[in-house]
Amino acid sequence: MARYIGGRLLMMAVTIVAILTVVFFLMRAIPGDPAAYILGNYATSDAITTLRHNLGLDRPLIVQYLLYMGAALHGNLGTSIISQQPALSVVMSNLLPSIELAVAGVAIAAAVGIPFGMLSAARHGTIVDLSVMLGALGGISFPVFWIGLVAILIFAHALRWFPSVGAGSAGDPASQLRHLALPALVLGLSVAAYIARLSRSAMLEVLGQDFIRTARSKGLSERAVMWRHALRNALVPVLSVIGVTIAWAFGNAILVEIVFSRPGLGSLILKAVSARDYPLVQAAVFVLAVAVVLINTTIDVLYGIIDPRIRQA
Amino acid sequence: MLAVLLIIAIGAPWIAPYSPIATDLSHSLAPPSIAHLLGTDQYGRDVLSRLIWGTRISLEVAFWVVLVSLTLGTAIGAMAGYFGGWIDRTLTSFNEMMLAFPGFLLALALVAARGSTLDNVILAIAIAYTPRVAIVMRSIVLTVRPRQYVEAAHAIGASSLRILLRHVIPNSLPPVIVVATVSAATAILGEAGLSFLGLGVQPPAPTWGNVISDGQNYIQSNPWISLSAGIAIAISVIGFNLLGDGLRDTLDPQLKKQTAAKLL
Repeated sequence: MARYIGGRLLMMAVTIVAILTVVFFLMRAIPGDPAAYILGNYATSDAITTLRHNLGLDRPLIVQYLLYMGAALHGNLGTSIISQQPALSVVMSNLLPSIELAVAGVAIAAAVGIPFGMLSAARHGTIVDLSVMLGALGGISFPVFWIGLVAILIFAHALRWFPSVGAGSAGDPASQLRHLALPALVLGLSVAAYIARLSRSAMLEVLGQDFIRTARSKGLSERAVMWRHALRNALVPVLSVIGVTIAWAFGNAILVEIVFSRPGLGSLILKAVSARDYPLVQAAVFVLAVAVVLINTTIDVLYGIIDPRIRQA
Repeated sequence: MLAVLLIIAIGAPWIAPYSPIATDLSHSLAPPSIAHLLGTDQYGRDVLSRLIWGTRISLEVAFWVVLVSLTLGTAIGAMAGYFGGWIDRTLTSFNEMMLAFPGFLLALALVAARGSTLDNVILAIAIAYTPRVAIVMRSIVLTVRPRQYVEAAHAIGASSLRILLRHVIPNSLPPVIVVATVSAATAILGEAGLSFLGLGVQPPAPTWGNVISDGQNYIQSNPWISLSAGIAIAISVIGFNLLGDGLRDTLDPQLKKQTAAKLL
């Protein structure tokens, strides 16, 4: 077990170094000069040259890469142009509200999506299956920011059940929870649609296997087949579905934060983008990718604990 | 559904009742009427005309994203699956790592670093979604590679490039086309998200995301602006998802649906 966990952690470290490499090269892959873009249309060529020098963009690419990696491995991802603070610490100080929203959203999504996906598979080909899948198709087809606007219109403005914007007063957990509820529901329902589709596929695959046929041929009731045999065996692939949706949920969480004017990485990234704060955007992308890798590694380790066959593989 | 959208996109200059960028402040925020079926926005622009012209930009983004991600993803996935060894390990690790990035955020960062032009939006979304195509392509090539016709081509001395282009890729394409079709839906959502944040194709260009963003501040008094644009997006996304499902059933009935679904 220790060897399995050690292996996963080593793989995670390699992935984080690789993510740094990808962030570095991707930002330079698309044609165009970041210095010219940061300074805008009216910049003089001298100003562009100076900024290129200050950002180190006039050095050979390999030198830029080695300097960037050296600094990054010491926790330095550059300095934010807006605040003149280390980009990584600015991102970290805004990370918690985004994590809260993403975790609450994924929890709601799992609580709604998994039972509906399984129900749909258990009632395969019936009106229940069709209704759940149509609902899920609708859920993945409307943009999450639009669902957020509609939710504000109905639940905050018309029914007044929830506050529409902000994150609540600091030091008042009840107010913070009330402000988190609607954004988390919006994020949760959009991700739930996705989880329901994937859970249905996972459950259908289990239902098609020989041991289910054997269980049925033994004369077990449909309820016993579903609960004792199918559900148990479908749980591991269904858990993996949650891992798959994490990256997606983080992307959507940013849009939801902006619609609900919540503090967090979404508003930080938007501010950074408007101010053309390129190091800050780069640091935010890196931190979110690492968060996804951390969560997925945790899920991998959990699989190893749940299912010994996985850690022996 | 998609055919209708295509006709709207091509026929926008003739179908749209007004210019999508013509402002008329004396009629700003007008409710739906015979003259303006979906009302007007804060600048008095006809919302229906903006949605009709927006179809063109959304489908253009979807088309180019599919083309670029299909081309790059097919090449990367086919090389990984066919050559195996260190080439496979390197390319597959790269793809898996790319999947750790929230696709939308990656596209956002690329556009933020390089500017909000239509080309950059397309390239950014395509780069974000290429690894999904590549991973599906690789898994299919792994099943095609050991087949007898590939071995026969080897035996008669065909080059690797020829075998890849003439035998492996054509026989692996159907499932990849399915994934690429569904990624058109994701591209439309991605472009709308970027436009909503003001990072997509810049106003006053009529995109669906821009229309939702324009209507955001008037969601209580004039909800039809944002609502109608969201419905337009959903119709096109549902259209591409249904097309993907249809192609999957037609082109490759053996493909386990969840294999592709997990990667979308």
